[in-house]
Amino acid sequence: MSDKPASAIKLNVINEPKDSYTGGPSSLCPGCGHDQISSVIISAAWENGIEPHRIAKMSGIGCSSKTPAYYLGQSHGFNTVHGRMPSVTTGAYAINKDLLYLGVSGDGDSASIGIGQLIHAIRRNMDMVYIVENNGVYGLTKGQYSATADVGSKKKKGAVNETQPIDLCALAINLGCTFVARSFSGSKKQLTSLLKAAMSHKGFALIDVISPCVTFNNNDESMRSYSYVKENEVTLHMADYIPHFNPVEEVEVPEGHFKDITLHDGSTIRLETISEEHDPGDAMAALTALHEAETNAKHVTGLLYFDATKPSLAEDLGLVDEALLDVPDETLRPSQASLDALNAEFLA
Amino acid sequence: MSAIVNDFTINIATANGTGSQSANLILLQSLFDMGVPVSGKNLFPSNISGLPTWYIVRLSDKGYQAPGDRTHIQVLVNPATWDEDLEALEPGSVVIWNSDTKGKTVEREDVVSYPVPMSSLARKINPKIAKLVTNIVYVGVLAELLGIDQACLESAVAKQFKGKASAVELNITALGLGRDYCKENLPKADPFTVEARDVAKAQFFIEGNEAAALGAHYGGVQLLSWYPITPSSSLAEGIISYIPRLRTDDEGKATMAVIQAEDELAAAGMVLGAGWAGGRGMTATSGPGISLMQEFIGLAYFAEIPSVFWDVTRVGPSTGLPTRTQQSDIAMLYEGSHGDTQHIVLIPGTVEECFEYGWRAFDYAERFQTPVFGMSDLDLGMNRWACEGFTYPDQPMDRGKVVREQDVFEAFETFGRYLDVDGDGIPYRTLPGSGMAPILYRGTGHNPMGVYSEKPADYYNLMERLKMKIESARDALPAPILREETECEVGIIFLGSMENSIQEIDDILEDTGMKVSQCRVRALPFHSEVEAFVRRHEVVIVLEINRDGQLYGILRRELPNDLVTKVHSVAYSDGMPPRARIYAERILQTLEEVKQ
Repeated sequence: MSDKPASAIKLNVINEPKDSYTGGPSSLCPGCGHDQISSVIISAAWENGIEPHRIAKMSGIGCSSKTPAYYLGQSHGFNTVHGRMPSVTTGAYAINKDLLYLGVSGDGDSASIGIGQLIHAIRRNMDMVYIVENNGVYGLTKGQYSATADVGSKKKKGAVNETQPIDLCALAINLGCTFVARSFSGSKKQLTSLLKAAMSHKGFALIDVISPCVTFNNNDESMRSYSYVKENEVTLHMADYIPHFNPVEEVEVPEGHFKDITLHDGSTIRLETISEEHDPGDAMAALTALHEAETNAKHVTGLLYFDATKPSLAEDLGLVDEALLDVPDETLRPSQASLDALNAEFLA
Repeated sequence: MSAIVNDFTINIATANGTGSQSANLILLQSLFDMGVPVSGKNLFPSNISGLPTWYIVRLSDKGYQAPGDRTHIQVLVNPATWDEDLEALEPGSVVIWNSDTKGKTVEREDVVSYPVPMSSLARKINPKIAKLVTNIVYVGVLAELLGIDQACLESAVAKQFKGKASAVELNITALGLGRDYCKENLPKADPFTVEARDVAKAQFFIEGNEAAALGAHYGGVQLLSWYPITPSSSLAEGIISYIPRLRTDDEGKATMAVIQAEDELAAAGMVLGAGWAGGRGMTATSGPGISLMQEFIGLAYFAEIPSVFWDVTRVGPSTGLPTRTQQSDIAMLYEGSHGDTQHIVLIPGTVEECFEYGWRAFDYAERFQTPVFGMSDLDLGMNRWACEGFTYPDQPMDRGKVVREQDVFEAFETFGRYLDVDGDGIPYRTLPGSGMAPILYRGTGHNPMGVYSEKPADYYNLMERLKMKIESARDALPAPILREETECEVGIIFLGSMENSIQEIDDILEDTGMKVSQCRVRALPFHSEVEAFVRRHEVVIVLEINRDGQLYGILRRELPNDLVTKVHSVAYSDGMPPRARIYAERILQTLEEVKQ
């Protein structure tokens, strides 16, 4: 807490300043969409009035998975291994179901190496928020396509992706995921409200956030990016040079409308916010909206699907009411009498 | 013809999925209940139904539990292996065979032949389940020929079918048919008989996997995450089966969670998640599963997450022989995952130790904040072994250096997750949700404060501390079992289920005039007693059930140079539980080579 008088600092419902929810400085490329998502995480947790130490920050491997160091410095976290964050979270959850598990992952983590774990966490309706910071590219290994890259997108070195992308939201809806949303890293307002809702959800909440890579996701318009760099008198052949961009401007698209967003490299993506008439309880409508958007080269954003009726994993496990962590050792270990009885029965 | 009492081997050849396992277990249990020292080995295929299965019953007043060198009594029920099984018999062997088997007969003149129309007898009871009943008919025949006590047989039937009246009645009727047929038609023409023995202490039969499962409960396991794999599934299922009895409250709510994972990777990930959150998580698997878990094993070692992995080993490499036994994961467990690693491995050799290490594994994992392996094998895990009863843990659960209270936390001058405060290499930890000293755990390099670091000194110091931490576990782990001669001539170092063959091997060797001492290793890293044992003996053999001498390799590397030349490897594996003579002969051959 700060020393400043309370009146000068805005506090949330549990009297915490926003500072209680921040983390260390980011080491991602300047302008990275992931940093915008981190700031949304900070806002949403603060606005929801969650005790910061009751949040567990979980991640896998990749640019996205480094971000837990940049928010919620008062929360324990686990930066696990590539694509396996869901299983580690599941194990932690079995022991302490009372924490809010906030998972951050990327498209390599979630759509490739860890797609199996994602699917099974959804299947179990694990109580967690699962954010995919989706940029269609492997950043840390310098720009290979991921399984969410659009057909026709073009790498810096010019190769065009011909392989069909995996739509994680469509996948999740088909699996019966109980909270499915899509957003954009620059849509701070929409993303904050989706994240706040996801944090309150009992069950698995997937938010697929389009978060363009400022460094490697140069697609068909990539020459403009080069020219941008050139205009700034930077030597082009320096392969390890990372141009400094400002984050994508904040964008809010009214419900039922779409807007074209210009990315750092000059390319555009078209975002459409799902209509307010969309019924999030209607999986067919949600899938239709996703497919229509894909056909029209758009990304539809907003809360696509929601189901509050399915039991979450905690209910399926049939555990005692308190978190297993809080069960005393004397209860965990069966009594001497119980072993004596077993021995006697075996001998009978 | 002088009688051969309680010293012979019966081999029963059937097909799996025909119910022969129940019949064989009834035979084994009835002999056991008579006090006859007996062991059973189930050689089963990786298959649901129809493939050849052999069940070997060894009776030995000397207490030898290895499969014998030869078969004395062969039961032939399976036409598929009939000719091969028959041909392998030595002259003078006994053959009890199903004379209803089409196209099969026993024409050898040098064996004692007992034809029994097992199928026709079985059909008399109930034609619909004749195939099932056929098996129990041969048990009746064996009972009559060998002199197995009827009361013991009947109680074994009751145990096998857990008192289910109709099944018990049916089987006792079938036993009687076999007995009566034998009485009326087959005059005794062989020397083999059984005699009841007084047993000093009451014993029961149990599989190692069930014992380890119970042990896990008495260790207060809080999460079992697992993926089915032979031969470990019965360990996981054993844990599950005891939850209602041992781990639920009055409302039927459990104090442990079970999650059947999507694969072994996820199973391991869940174990780590549980350990990270402050709970006791474990998985049970076999070699192929451990191969898949390597990534998480390295993370658990490097990020110092308590975690327990049971490896009930089978024959590798790859899918290998899934239903045969081997000790071939020793190196993989001890040094699991990429990079420099070293892990604690507990190696039970008896069902009592399966139980004990079942609970102790958690104490070691939490005390040393590291992955701990239980290494059993198919022979120990899935066959039944005599047990005098399980001993209740002699100490409270050791939860290790976990800071749970704020005032304890505040007493630290500086708190760092990886700070070696006590100089024993074991740092203190706080738990997620506690609000105390939160850090982002990671598999990347880190400094004592748990912050990402690539600094040479940070990495070097971290790796040295981890080494010291595991080194310091040596003498805290179970000490080897030593059975020493005063002469200290030949010392045999061995491990795990070889326990069941070692006395017979020892006796075969001592018959040649040498004096043999035994040292059964029960944990890695080696206890200091192991080095002392090597130092005391003139020549040391490391005996193990694999091709490459994995335990030998580890010992050789860790012994001081002056002791290395004393130690020699005898490693052999053909998938079978170790037959004493094969290993004894290889030891003799090696000792001969050493002399030259």
